[in-house]
Amino acid sequence: MSEATMTRREWLLTDRPQSRLQARLGRAYVAWRRFTANKLAVIGLVIILGLVFLAIFAPLLAPHSPYIGDLAKARLLAPGAGHWLGTDDQGRDILSRLIYGSRLTLQVVLLVAVIAAPIGLLVGTVAGYAGGWVDAVLMRITDIFLAFPKLVLALAFVAALGPGIGNAIIAIAITSWPPYARIARAETLTVRNSDYIQAVQLMGASPWRIVLRHIMPLCISSLIVRVTLDMAGIILTAAGLGFLGLGAQPPLPEWGAMIASGRRFILDQWWVAAAPGVAILIVSLGFNLLGDGLRDALDPRGSGQ
Amino acid sequence: MPKVIVNERGTEMNRETISSRMRPLLAGAAFSLLLVSGGMAPAFAETPADTLVQAWAIDDTITLDPAESFELSPAEFIGNAYDMLVRLDIADTTKVKGGIADSWTVSDDGLTYTFKLKPGIKFASGNPVTAEDVAWSFERVVKLDKSPAFILTQFGLTGDNVAEKAKAADENTFVFTVDKAYAPSFVLNCLTATVGAVIDKKLVMEHAEAKTPSDEYKYDTDFGYGWLKTNYAGSGPFKIRDWRANEILVLERNDNYYGEKPALARVIYRHVKESATQRLMLEAGDVDIARNLEPGDLDAVSKNADLATTSAPKGTVYYISLNQKNANLAKPEVREAFKYLVDYDAIGSTLLKGIGEIRQTYQAKGVLGALEASPYKFDVAKAKELLEKAGLKDGFSVTFDVRNTQPVTGIAESFQQTAGQAGVKIEIIPGDGKQTLTKYRARNHDMYIGQWGMDYWDPNSNGEAFTSNPDNGDDASVKTLAWRNAWDIPELTAQSKAALLERDNGKRAEMYQKLQQEALETSPFVMIFQQIEAAGLRGAVKNYKLGPSMDTNFLASVTKQ
Repeated sequence: MSEATMTRREWLLTDRPQSRLQARLGRAYVAWRRFTANKLAVIGLVIILGLVFLAIFAPLLAPHSPYIGDLAKARLLAPGAGHWLGTDDQGRDILSRLIYGSRLTLQVVLLVAVIAAPIGLLVGTVAGYAGGWVDAVLMRITDIFLAFPKLVLALAFVAALGPGIGNAIIAIAITSWPPYARIARAETLTVRNSDYIQAVQLMGASPWRIVLRHIMPLCISSLIVRVTLDMAGIILTAAGLGFLGLGAQPPLPEWGAMIASGRRFILDQWWVAAAPGVAILIVSLGFNLLGDGLRDALDPRGSGQ
Repeated sequence: MPKVIVNERGTEMNRETISSRMRPLLAGAAFSLLLVSGGMAPAFAETPADTLVQAWAIDDTITLDPAESFELSPAEFIGNAYDMLVRLDIADTTKVKGGIADSWTVSDDGLTYTFKLKPGIKFASGNPVTAEDVAWSFERVVKLDKSPAFILTQFGLTGDNVAEKAKAADENTFVFTVDKAYAPSFVLNCLTATVGAVIDKKLVMEHAEAKTPSDEYKYDTDFGYGWLKTNYAGSGPFKIRDWRANEILVLERNDNYYGEKPALARVIYRHVKESATQRLMLEAGDVDIARNLEPGDLDAVSKNADLATTSAPKGTVYYISLNQKNANLAKPEVREAFKYLVDYDAIGSTLLKGIGEIRQTYQAKGVLGALEASPYKFDVAKAKELLEKAGLKDGFSVTFDVRNTQPVTGIAESFQQTAGQAGVKIEIIPGDGKQTLTKYRARNHDMYIGQWGMDYWDPNSNGEAFTSNPDNGDDASVKTLAWRNAWDIPELTAQSKAALLERDNGKRAEMYQKLQQEALETSPFVMIFQQIEAAGLRGAVKNYKLGPSMDTNFLASVTKQ
């Protein structure tokens, strides 16, 4: 069987890959097929891609300014032709605010993931590999953070740092790394005594090299799943802080803050609070579905067979 | 009526405003529903003809003792159930009229006030009202020294000299000696406060408890402090018959009252927190008056043919202040420009509907010398011109500390938008009341939006706060609002001090008007609005009128058809 006659699909699925690249691509293709077989996961992916699209092209898509409203003439208008989702109590177009708000939501989610996941990964793998007192100290610190309800701890940090979207991100990141550390440690414990690790040790690799190059990559897939599943929680925490007036500063169109300002009108002008509420619901759902699909697709136990 | 906290005359931290007290609380709602369904009161479709039933959030009532009470709802109870030496003339609130006092004279040196009491009047208990009761009521306030005591002690009264300075010359003559030749209107206005209520000495002392004198409390009696918290010993048109905290308060006609007797036999206040619940009760006829209606519910009530609404401005004003420590804000042109950058009309017709009315001068409507002027309109071009004159053609950036409650957040956001049109970039820093206030008190802010409630019904209360700053140093002992914004105004300070001592009422009013005019033009205070209190009424209620302060929401004239 010569390579020329293979279809691309067969090349990817071959049992005997000729190169590292081919093996990697093959595995990715298998994961992708498993992922796309899950309809809900695809819906989740579409929602998140839609969010990214909105965030990138917000200035082109938003019909009005998200910051400038007409207080005197356009306050609390019902959804209609001029304003598809109505206007808020400052006379601003809610749809435009939602579209611009997607940028804040994405920013929060990405920055928290970028800050919290590496911290958790590092703490967990070091603790798991080193064992002994290093493990004990690191895990007790993790326990301390886990002992507080997440939102309460985030509130305390924001209160100390001062309100604002940047501080909210830091506060959420500080409160969300411990679960990642736990997962990474558990994964590390399962591989630290494997033959290949001992082989690397025999070859004289330093502990840092082993942790960074040979243990961390194995933890990443479960971590990605966990982070994706957590993103819904991050969005809700950010919205919660915004709702309490400790997240984004006015007039930033942060969805939680939008709900907070709309709740006063919930009986008579329900759309002011409902629109951002539905947006949060949809995006959280999207991340959850995506995370679920990723878990099935990346689960190493089910792969390759 | 504001509530003073920790050595602080300022009143930003009082129970926010009338509207923000109606926070949705599930428990409160459930409790109210219990009341509606007849859990406590018999479920009558219509209230009795001789009884006025009001739904009101009365959970701020923590004591009924006039010497201690400084909250909103008890001011109304005390105002109706107690009598003071002099009362505000509700027909013209810049004047006072006799209460227990029949007439009074002021000595030529302005230090001695002699009050002749109305002869033959009695407390609700049947005891006669004597000058001794008046003197003892003053002594009691000064010696107990609770939050509102400063209204009397500012006249130089102390625990040691009060017996001498406020004393009964004979059965019917009370003599009050002050430490400076204050304007008589100032002294008399202060005596109309609830803290000046005349208390039945004989009745209260029957219930007084013995105390062991100590360093903190030097007297051997509690002056009936423990008893009067929940009981009544006054002589007003009504007597307080019953109070159960967070549940009910009952006023009953006082048949010993010397004046015209109230038409109503009793007034019942039911504690209902939720605006929507109050509206439903009002529509069903379970209550005659609903006191905490939010704008939306108020709107619905005013459209109902069986119901009516009434409202009155109250003594709390809202303002944006500009810290003069900020070099840009210290420029007079910038201060003026900012006054052109508030969209008064739009804010007044939307954000403030039902809770406030636009007011650009700092004295509350109806107080002596209040200036009626609103020269500023939203005018971006004019503001830009002024900014250019100040050398800030391209605008500038400034921070704005805003408490995260309404309506201030809404006003701040609106101002942020309108100021942006003139190139002024405003960064709003949201925070809770304590954070923003702490920063404000330490003069660390650039801009701040806040409220200020009058402590007593006299122009000096706000005049001193806004246009007096005896020492602009960081370690000053007198920290007025002008001080908090580092507005150094030796001349205006002297003028407001002079107004306090001006004995001619007309001249005094003019002096305060001049101060307000000056503040209007040059002050770092962008005055926004004065709070109003609104109520929904059943059609059968007649002559119900809200007063300019909580203790002047008089009920004696109310009738029902």
